[in-house]
Amino acid sequence: MKPQQISAVAAAVVFAAAVTGALAQQEINSGQMATSLAGVSNTRLSLTGAQMRQAVLDNIRNYPGILPPHALSFPQLENLAQFVVEVDFDFNSAVIRPSSYRTIGAIADALHNPILLGYGFLVIGHTDSVGGRQYNVGLSQRRAEAIRDALVDPFNVNPAVLEAVGMGEEQLRDPAHPTSGVNRRVQLINVGGKFCFNASGERYVCQ
Amino acid sequence: MIRAISLVCALCLMSAAVFPANAQTMSYADAISQLAMACRNDIATYCKGVPLGPRLKTCFDTNEARMSPQCQQTRGVVYASIVRRAAAQRDIGDICSADIARLCGTTRAGESLLACLLVASPAAISPQCNQAFTDTGWRTERARQ
Repeated sequence: MKPQQISAVAAAVVFAAAVTGALAQQEINSGQMATSLAGVSNTRLSLTGAQMRQAVLDNIRNYPGILPPHALSFPQLENLAQFVVEVDFDFNSAVIRPSSYRTIGAIADALHNPILLGYGFLVIGHTDSVGGRQYNVGLSQRRAEAIRDALVDPFNVNPAVLEAVGMGEEQLRDPAHPTSGVNRRVQLINVGGKFCFNASGERYVCQ
Repeated sequence: MIRAISLVCALCLMSAAVFPANAQTMSYADAISQLAMACRNDIATYCKGVPLGPRLKTCFDTNEARMSPQCQQTRGVVYASIVRRAAAQRDIGDICSADIARLCGTTRAGESLLACLLVASPAAISPQCNQAFTDTGWRTERARQ
């Protein structure tokens, strides 16, 4: 691991998911994921998961429409180390498909890497535009929580370092093709500062 | 290569009731994808819609007698590997405390201790510490970075 890689803003990498059955596997390199998630530390980040969830609801209220006319943005998060993966769920459900078990295991391998010890992470779920915006917020929240829960058990990631946030369809990756699968994704962001989250989503310094 | 090693190990362990002490633990990614492959039909039949996590484990327990022998064997190996890797990552500081003190001095803490073990030759580490360190999977994860 080279120092410049640590200090560089990590590019989000999208791995296309094969969705043809349980044998389909994504080749995600947990070591590279760990490297991408390491480094950029912003101990002054004041954004909480609760504030993000409120901003999502505000975006729907302030910018009504079938599709979000105004993409929600969080400038505070844009320069943080992050990684984007695609996880397959059952339709309209927060149940992770067996085809994505490997992806969840790889995320766990990365989060257990000593270079990420003690950092706090946002687990942000995104949907495509199929379904109502409000509904999609709830669906993506449940899916983000399902990923968090699977990382905790069976993969032993410390729940205190994970905060699940559902973004619904408010940050479409490809607004020109709102129903495209590329919009369905999970974003992991290192919020830096060796912070953990309590049950209310408030951050504290990990012990 | 790492995957190949894990697969070979999974095959050689198929008949083992417990995880052999001198075997390598699998990465979580390899472990859970082996479960997904070996238990694919059993999950679809008995645990459809059950989320990955404690509820899936409960579903396996409940339906164990009906599940395919291949799934049962793989499941035992997979969960044993996951448990052993987790225990190694939790206990490495205690198990290797003497090695760390000898190799790294007593003033270092946390990640620098791990870095110290990472650069040390396995021959310079006590067998117990070396086994625990291998079980953490951190050497193979480091090699992937």
